[in-house]
Amino acid sequence: MMGRTSRVAIVGVGAVSAFGLGWRGLGGTVVEGKPLRSTSHALAVTHPGIEAAQVPALAPAQDAGDGRQRKLMSRGARLAAVVMREALRDARWSEGREEVGAFLGVGASGGAMEELTAMLQAGITACNPLFAFQLMNNFTLCHGAILEGVGGPNGAFFSRGGGTVRALREAVATVSTGECERALAGGSDSALHPVTWAELGREGFAARGLVPGEGAGLLALSSRPEDTALAWLERCEVLPVEGLSRVLAGSHGQVDTVLTAAWGPGIAGELESTVARLGVPVSDTVTLLGEALAASPALAWAVAVDLLAQGRAHRVLVLSLGVDGELGLVELAGAQR
Amino acid sequence: MSRAVITGVGVVSAFGVGAPAFFGGLAEGRGAVGPIRAFDARTFPTQVAGEVPPVAPPVLRERLGSLDTGAGLLDSLGASGALRDRKLVFGLLAAEEAWRSARCGPEEQEAALSVALGLEQAFLEDFGPLFDEGRIQWTREPEAPLPSVRFRARLDLAAEALRELLGLRGGTTVHVSACAAGGLAVAHAAALIERGEASVVLCGATDSMVNPLGIGGMSRLGAPSPRNTPDACRPFDRRRDGLVVGEGAAMFVVESEERARRRGVRALARILGWGRTQDAYRVTAPRPDGASARRAMERALRHAGLSPEAVGYINAHGTGTPLNDPAEVKAIRGALGAHAERVTVSSIKGAVGHLMAASGAIELAASLLAFERDLLPGTANLLERDPECDLDIIGPTPRPARVDVVLSNSFGFGGQNVTVALGRVT
Repeated sequence: MMGRTSRVAIVGVGAVSAFGLGWRGLGGTVVEGKPLRSTSHALAVTHPGIEAAQVPALAPAQDAGDGRQRKLMSRGARLAAVVMREALRDARWSEGREEVGAFLGVGASGGAMEELTAMLQAGITACNPLFAFQLMNNFTLCHGAILEGVGGPNGAFFSRGGGTVRALREAVATVSTGECERALAGGSDSALHPVTWAELGREGFAARGLVPGEGAGLLALSSRPEDTALAWLERCEVLPVEGLSRVLAGSHGQVDTVLTAAWGPGIAGELESTVARLGVPVSDTVTLLGEALAASPALAWAVAVDLLAQGRAHRVLVLSLGVDGELGLVELAGAQR
Repeated sequence: MSRAVITGVGVVSAFGVGAPAFFGGLAEGRGAVGPIRAFDARTFPTQVAGEVPPVAPPVLRERLGSLDTGAGLLDSLGASGALRDRKLVFGLLAAEEAWRSARCGPEEQEAALSVALGLEQAFLEDFGPLFDEGRIQWTREPEAPLPSVRFRARLDLAAEALRELLGLRGGTTVHVSACAAGGLAVAHAAALIERGEASVVLCGATDSMVNPLGIGGMSRLGAPSPRNTPDACRPFDRRRDGLVVGEGAAMFVVESEERARRRGVRALARILGWGRTQDAYRVTAPRPDGASARRAMERALRHAGLSPEAVGYINAHGTGTPLNDPAEVKAIRGALGAHAERVTVSSIKGAVGHLMAASGAIELAASLLAFERDLLPGTANLLERDPECDLDIIGPTPRPARVDVVLSNSFGFGGQNVTVALGRVT
């Protein structure tokens, strides 16, 4: 468990969600806003009419790499590359990037359907030879690292929620132990891939109200005194769901806001009623941002930092519960305290 | 700080099921690459692989049936079609062997799991019945008469199966960092021990790309050697022209040295340190100057508190591709300085192929030969050393030597690098 004494500063954030590129303002959107839903473009051919929380088209200057580079990227990789650039910019880390760490929760393979279709129609030689780079899920991390020159300790963790919290834990440990002084941590994914959506359907999540989403979120963590803290990371754990009561007992009296990132309305409601004993406001980020699988916990952390940076909260507990059933617990405190 | 030690190992490789088969094959300097038999590869550009010999269902049932959960798990995995995923079977077999060899029992079920897995197994044949009028007809998916696993096996299914087989209660981390993932999984396990987050961890990797999509995809990338002969992969050789795809698994029980001592289990090696870096160079190629790989080795030595002179042997990533091998030699020279002239290097990929996500794990297993038998594995098919690879690289015949510190390098597609330092237990 990450102890309360090994605090790490959050000095930058990158996020892209159904509300577009950027993290500032996301807190207010989640606490007060309405879901932003539209019919999924990515599923239009295979699963027409699916309501989703999809990332709007990005302007060329906001997007990742150039056209040729984007052809090698899965959707998750493309979104990760976008937020990696944004988080680095937000943290003002323009120098020494070869020593910056990167730890990401990444989702399933995300090859382009046109390549798969070509393969089925005319055999493997019909598809783009570089199709493999869309399929390999470690490239969700690597494309951004290559574009941005991020060369420190790194790891990609498969995530349907919990793996992203583990990525953050690993980043925190890496910074705390001095393996590197600065690291990016978060997740990127899209539930709006036809195969992913079909699998979620077969597992029964769609029938239970899961709204597919997509996005990416990254925190820039630092132990360097010269980096200015936006917030402090106080705690980061992955727990079995039954461990929640113990955790809540430890947080009582300090946390003033709870954010949940739970994959469906039913499960969000259950979490909400469990944390009601804290007597603090509770908001669910997935209700607004959709279930973005590996990205969902990270988007909730971005929301938390925004609430802290605005002074709308002083200590935020983020509870994530992904489709893997793992409970992630991250506690963040405002920098001004 | 607790020091992590390896107390159990299990291996599934082209030499067969079990660590003895693997160590025996390497010790005898044999190669196990041959024609692909898992599917009809005659129309594929690549027709050889380091393929695991077929595991007969009764053998699988007998091995896993030694555990209380084994038979039931096999039944449920079989019914769901999950056993079609070769890496799942390999992982279970290797884990059972590692668990048994470390004499693990109920006390060790508190273990965390740190496992590297390759890509989701996708079954091209599953898409076929849904493909009509030039596209996939998704609406037929629920009714189509297909095997139960369709499109792709959920990636963490293998991790769940490992937990269930051994009754593990600790947290699970699934590493998906391409060819560096196996080394990263073992390094992560050691980190959990050092940080006091776990006292015992089952770790390692399992992977198979010996299927039409895997072999076809790698062929399209141009990574495999165009030769379709058992000696196709020739690490550090002047005639090298590509890798050979392998498959298999290596799993370890890693625990704190104090814990191993307390329960009277012999440690096979200490995990002294590790270093992780990212090339941040190109999608399709490693850094030609080996600078990031060098930093991974330097970080591993720094973590271990060792000078370059302490290193006796390097188990190289050594893929046999034109780009990797000279870059790795530069990295070794950069990291070890003058000592690079005296260190011994080899690669086992000519013998068993490139196990992709599992390569780092199986190469750490191979490195245990140095401590267990005072023997350094050879480099199968290295007959004419490339002048650019001017280190003391062992040829096909293993070399007797006593070394106390080994580095194992793994470099992944996408630029992820990891070096793990192992030490002899004295």
